[in-house]
Amino acid sequence: MTDTPKMSARNVDVYYGAKQAIDDVSIDIDTGHVTAFIGPSGCGKSTFLRSLNRMNDTIPIARVTGEIDLDGEDISRMDPVQLRARVGMVFQKPNPFPKSIYENVAYGPRIHGVAAGKAEMDEIVEKSLSRAGLWEEVRDRLSDAGTALSGGQQQRLCIARAIAVSPEVILMDEPCSALDPIATARIEELIDELKERYAIVIVTHSMQQAARVSQKTAFFHLGKMVEYGDTSDLFTNPQQERTKDYITGRYG
Amino acid sequence: MNSVWDTEQMARRIARRNKAERRFRLLGLGAIVLSLSFLVLLLVIMLKNGLGGLDWEFLTGSDSTDASTAGIWGALKGSLLTMAVTLALSFPLGVLSAIYLEEFAPKNRWIDLVEVSINNLAAVPSIIFGLLGLAVFINTFGLPRSAPLVGGLTLALMTMPVIVISGRNAIKAVPPSIRDAALAVGASPVQTVFHHVLPLALPGILTGTIIGMARALGETAPLLMIGMRAFIATPPDGITDPASVLPMQIFLWSDEIDRAFVQNTSAAIIVLLVFLLAMNGLAIYLRNKFEVRW
Amino acid sequence: MTFVLILLVALGLVGWFVARGRARLMYTGRGSLAATPNYHGWHMALWTIVPALAAWGVWLSIEPGLIENAVLQDPAAAQLPESPMERATVLGEARNLANNPDAGFFNPLSVQLAEPMREAQTRYDIYGAIVVLLFGFIGGAYAYTRIKAAFPARTRVERGVMLVLLVASLVAILTTFGIVASLVYETGLFFAEVSPIDFLLGTHWSPANATGPDMGDSFGAIPLFWGTLYIGAVIAMIVAIPLGLMSAIYLTQYADLRVRKWLKPALEILAGVPTVVYGYFAALTVAPMIRDLAASAGYQNPSTESALAAGLVMGVMIIPFVSSMADDSIAAVPQSMRDGSLAMGATQSETIKKVLIPAALPGIVAGVMLAISRAIGETMIVVMAAGAAANLSVDPLESMTTVTYQIVQLLTGDQEFDSAKTLSAFALGLVLFVVTLILNIIALRVVKRFREAYE
Ligand SMILES: Nc1ncnc2c1ncn2[C@@H]1O[C@H](COP(=O)(O)OP(=O)(O)O)[C@@H](O)[C@H]1O
Ligand SMILES: [Mg+2]
Repeated sequence: MTDTPKMSARNVDVYYGAKQAIDDVSIDIDTGHVTAFIGPSGCGKSTFLRSLNRMNDTIPIARVTGEIDLDGEDISRMDPVQLRARVGMVFQKPNPFPKSIYENVAYGPRIHGVAAGKAEMDEIVEKSLSRAGLWEEVRDRLSDAGTALSGGQQQRLCIARAIAVSPEVILMDEPCSALDPIATARIEELIDELKERYAIVIVTHSMQQAARVSQKTAFFHLGKMVEYGDTSDLFTNPQQERTKDYITGRYG
Repeated sequence: MNSVWDTEQMARRIARRNKAERRFRLLGLGAIVLSLSFLVLLLVIMLKNGLGGLDWEFLTGSDSTDASTAGIWGALKGSLLTMAVTLALSFPLGVLSAIYLEEFAPKNRWIDLVEVSINNLAAVPSIIFGLLGLAVFINTFGLPRSAPLVGGLTLALMTMPVIVISGRNAIKAVPPSIRDAALAVGASPVQTVFHHVLPLALPGILTGTIIGMARALGETAPLLMIGMRAFIATPPDGITDPASVLPMQIFLWSDEIDRAFVQNTSAAIIVLLVFLLAMNGLAIYLRNKFEVRW
Repeated sequence: MTFVLILLVALGLVGWFVARGRARLMYTGRGSLAATPNYHGWHMALWTIVPALAAWGVWLSIEPGLIENAVLQDPAAAQLPESPMERATVLGEARNLANNPDAGFFNPLSVQLAEPMREAQTRYDIYGAIVVLLFGFIGGAYAYTRIKAAFPARTRVERGVMLVLLVASLVAILTTFGIVASLVYETGLFFAEVSPIDFLLGTHWSPANATGPDMGDSFGAIPLFWGTLYIGAVIAMIVAIPLGLMSAIYLTQYADLRVRKWLKPALEILAGVPTVVYGYFAALTVAPMIRDLAASAGYQNPSTESALAAGLVMGVMIIPFVSSMADDSIAAVPQSMRDGSLAMGATQSETIKKVLIPAALPGIVAGVMLAISRAIGETMIVVMAAGAAANLSVDPLESMTTVTYQIVQLLTGDQEFDSAKTLSAFALGLVLFVVTLILNIIALRVVKRFREAYE
């Protein structure tokens, strides 16, 4: 168990039709810390992230080659339903369903049938909302619409929704880009707490955010992963010329 | 490793969900296939019954009590005359209102009323237009019953909202930059609209007009109200002569007891559908050929 | 009259050239004219045509009265019956005979009146032409005198154009007003004879034997309302909602782009088939099929005309309507909802059923309301397949009648003008108009609010 990383990607290429968006990326991701993907916009961060839970399957023209393993098992041979339950995702713009707060969180456990009854469901909902740091704010209005919350709350609701099915990995695609600084700080704190239980991958275009929340950072450029290492090393002592240019603000 | 997912029970559940997924997908496909098979069935039955009756005599003859000599030219001519009246009224009125509402209308309660009127007229049952035609054109203005003039007037009122709505959409689709460019070289607002916006919007307007006309061509109910159901043995010569129209001829023949009229009815349906198909084809062609994506 | 129109257009054209030519002569160099000669041409053309057209319109509305007066001067007119309604009938016949000597007639008096009628028509047509041309000349002459170098012809023309545009858009209001006014007026006449309560709440409908003081008992429209709703809002929707919704789901969520490109227009053909064709299809194929099926299922004496046949075919006709409304509504749900659900491990169908449809529900419901409004206003299918019997029944195999069927029935056949029977058709029309109007207004509101919610 200690040897196999939680997720590992080997020689992954992603194409949109004839256009190649990811070129030969290999990376290991582990539980217990946060991995950040940084890079200029359009370099393929989201594309690669979406390959990790096979969300690219939902885009007809997208094609993924290479091998991605979850606990040593090839995800392309897994059932996407199961894979996506084990590898949760949080999106750039908060996207709560037009249902009540309770139903938003209960959605995953319900479709996967992991709660035995109403009592267990209540427990899952409360636990997930607590872990997402939202319970105190919404405990009295669980039947209100999820869309009625503020932007930051909505995003935490989406995180609660993702952890309600007890995933092993959580993928976050620029989860704070639509939020104000205070809400952002709240989510960053939350990510720090969650990393004990889950392997977390976060895409961000903010280097400061990567430096704040992540222990490992991967720098992407033009579809390639240019450099990958401990966050502190990468920011203080980049090995590659292009990484250095990016973090010193030469482009991006 | 997360143990929840490794149980036999969970594997069965996933298999069941995937099966439900396939079933649902098949259901969707089935719905389309079933809907389209109705269409196919309808067409096949009409072709089977009617194709044999489609000959020159049928196309050039007029209505008759004898199924074998009855033809559709009289009704067809009535339809053409009626459509001519409809087009002559609804196209200019529709386009001019579309221009006014989209480009010049001030924001006030009257204009709101016009918009509400147009949107609702587009959804008023066609038979109501027939009642209007009967009460206003025939009983009040004393225009002749059964005439293409009244039929065309009635259908024009019905078609105009369709043209206004599609015309407004076409005008709206012309980017503001074109207007700005024309205004910037000193064209007046009226010149800008008639010289620059209207030509660009014309394909869209024409498409909408053809679709509206196709609908009018297939209408029967409002024309029943204004008496265009008379037995017309000689083709009408002008828009005030008593006339019938093609859909009405279908309706009248369908009522005949004599089984021989089944062939005539079906053949007339084929002719009507060919006309409609051609009109819709033209509309699609126009849209594809001239549609500009800004 | 066609001749007058042609003459008018010709006159306008002449005016256009004359004014343009004259304005050109005044041109002495850059800036010497306030408007281009073309606009002087338009100015004069408009002044020639518009007043003349207006005069023509006025003339058309007073001419029938003048003709009638002239005909009434004829000695034969003394024999005209007293009742205004019968008078109108005879005069109408005379008018038809005057236009077309082969036209049929019931009253021999109309033959005698046909000749004076034709003569009066010709006379007043000539007067009309003279009046119209006079207006054209006066207008044109006025415009001609205005041709001066400093005359701002363009602004004047544009002001005229705006007026024309405004008038064109008022036609819509006028039409709505015409519908409401004529329906309300005739319904008022009807309610003077039959109480609205009898009409709206009575359960017995047989206008054919309506006479005498308790005529109201024969005008109970409940069976018609019931038949209309049962066929249009129940049977047709049972067919159209599932098929339309599932088709939309398949087209938007499953079919790939190429398949969608073909299937969607194919489905729309269903909406383009004229209703008279559906009606014939229902009467020729579907109704006998249902009757035979019912008979083989041990049903006693099933009738050929059944609510089921009409409703079924109407449902098919409505499928593309429901489908395109559902298609629009589902497409309006943001992609992020779908992604959110799929990323939770939901299957496509779970996503559709639990997220997309609930989110699109207001739009879909509005679409169904519009579909119902269309179904209950549909005429030809029920005329050809539903039957005339005003039954209050829930058995879909029985023949039922609808509001639209009865309107047709009451206004075609042998007409007695102004009888309660004829007027009741307008009362039915008013009910139909009001109901469809309400459905449409609510539905359009809901759709608008729904669109705004996701923008
Ligand atoms: N659905 C798609 N279809 C086609 N091309 C896409 C699609 N999504 C992304 N791309 C392309 O792939 C490249 C990488 O995009 P993305 O992964 O979104 O970059 P990032 O998230 O780093 O900004 C971009 O050039 C983008 O245009
Ligand atoms: Mg991105």
